[in-house]
Amino acid sequence: MGTLKAIERILLIIVFMTVFTGCDKEPEILDLMLDGKFIYDPSLDNPQDYLLSYSNPTPTPEEASRPVFIAVHGYSASTFEWEEFRTWSAGSPDYAISLVLMGGHGRTYEDFKNATWRDWQKSIVDEYHRLVAAGYTNLNFLASSTSCTLIIDLLNASYFSDKVVPRHILFIDPIIIPSSKILSLVPVIGPILGYIEGGNTPEEDQYWYHYRPQETLNQLNKLLTTVRKQLEDGIELPPNCKLKVYKSINDPTADPVSAVLIYKGLKTNTNGPIEIEMVNSDLHVFTRLSLRPNLKVMDHENQENSFNDFLSRVL
Amino acid sequence: MRLKKKYFLIFIVFSTMFYNSVCAQDSFLDVGVRVQKTVNLYWENGVSIQYSNKNVKPDNLYFGFSYVSSRLGSAYNSNAIKQDYFLFNTSWYFRKQHVLRPLVRLNLGYFMADYEEPFFDDLTNTSLVISPEAGLIVDTKSPLKIMITLGYNVITGDGEQGAGTLYPLFIQTTISWALLRQ
Repeated sequence: MGTLKAIERILLIIVFMTVFTGCDKEPEILDLMLDGKFIYDPSLDNPQDYLLSYSNPTPTPEEASRPVFIAVHGYSASTFEWEEFRTWSAGSPDYAISLVLMGGHGRTYEDFKNATWRDWQKSIVDEYHRLVAAGYTNLNFLASSTSCTLIIDLLNASYFSDKVVPRHILFIDPIIIPSSKILSLVPVIGPILGYIEGGNTPEEDQYWYHYRPQETLNQLNKLLTTVRKQLEDGIELPPNCKLKVYKSINDPTADPVSAVLIYKGLKTNTNGPIEIEMVNSDLHVFTRLSLRPNLKVMDHENQENSFNDFLSRVL
Repeated sequence: MRLKKKYFLIFIVFSTMFYNSVCAQDSFLDVGVRVQKTVNLYWENGVSIQYSNKNVKPDNLYFGFSYVSSRLGSAYNSNAIKQDYFLFNTSWYFRKQHVLRPLVRLNLGYFMADYEEPFFDDLTNTSLVISPEAGLIVDTKSPLKIMITLGYNVITGDGEQGAGTLYPLFIQTTISWALLRQ
């Protein structure tokens, strides 16, 4: 009886600590953070500078058949994540880029906190629909991290099958298994945590949310679990759609084993394998180098090689 | 079929009577089926063998071995990663005379995942496993024992080292039968 009483007392203490420490966890948001009310993604005020459907809603037949990259960023990020690719492209007439901001992102901490992963995904779907409605026929996805997971969910739903099928889907550092296994405990300890900090530099704080509310971590966890199970059941690409994964072999955010799960779970419509390139990098989203300290020659080579590889596929 | 059921019941009753008729200071050999769920990841199932010697804290201190695998769980007929745990267990079962018995256990072992393709060879797919467990046993005082524990893998992957699908928290149930008690 003595042992059971002791266990009961320990459990009561744990419950009390959980309730006590879980209350009222709001972060200190500074003006210079994306999380605040003063800095937000510029695509919100000037969509015509980011979204092709706004900048060219009535393409000529030639423009409509030109390759379009629908470029989407990852969790907590913004359109900044693909700005370097746009800068590198230097206004090339051979293809166009549409930079999509995910729902709930690039705005405020509260907007981020209240958005679900379906909200994140909606922006991708909306831009895709606008481009199809405008007459674009050569659509390609360029996705990093969590946006890859969102697109896999669309593939699982056969979303593109009766529409304009994306010709190429290019995934940079997709996430199915997080590197931090603590994320798997968020459903249990989330209310205690309240939020976690992203570990950004002050400069990065302008383009990535500094704080990740436990509500968003829960959403991320739900998305990853949902898509992992979809891959376990098997997903077939639509006809004439090619997919390639570029994955850093060391990644502090998206565990490299994510590439294994995608390779096993995703097949072409002729039951063939997708393409995988394991990249000798220790960066998450190795295509974004801006604002990173201590870059190596290899990092620049990886970025250059991947950008050229994107073009070699669509042109 | 009715006859088979009758003989099975007779076997159970006599096993239980015999099981309880021998001396309390006995050696035990329990063999069972282990069903394990990693929180937010796979079902990994297998077998467990636990032994307690009459000369060394009988029916308190148990040594054993467990094998669990996703091949017998989530990876069966699916694209989940095939991965295996080989675990040496050291356990202490409290409250010897009671039906509901708390237990603590320490596992030490080896984890191995099969990534199948050569272009994944650079990824770490093995790991040392160290995992404490704590939970309860329903000791029916027959050959049947039912155990449920919560466990925590101290070593997990982090994207830069370690195996990516070695997750921290798991729950397991073992249903065992005493093959030997003497």
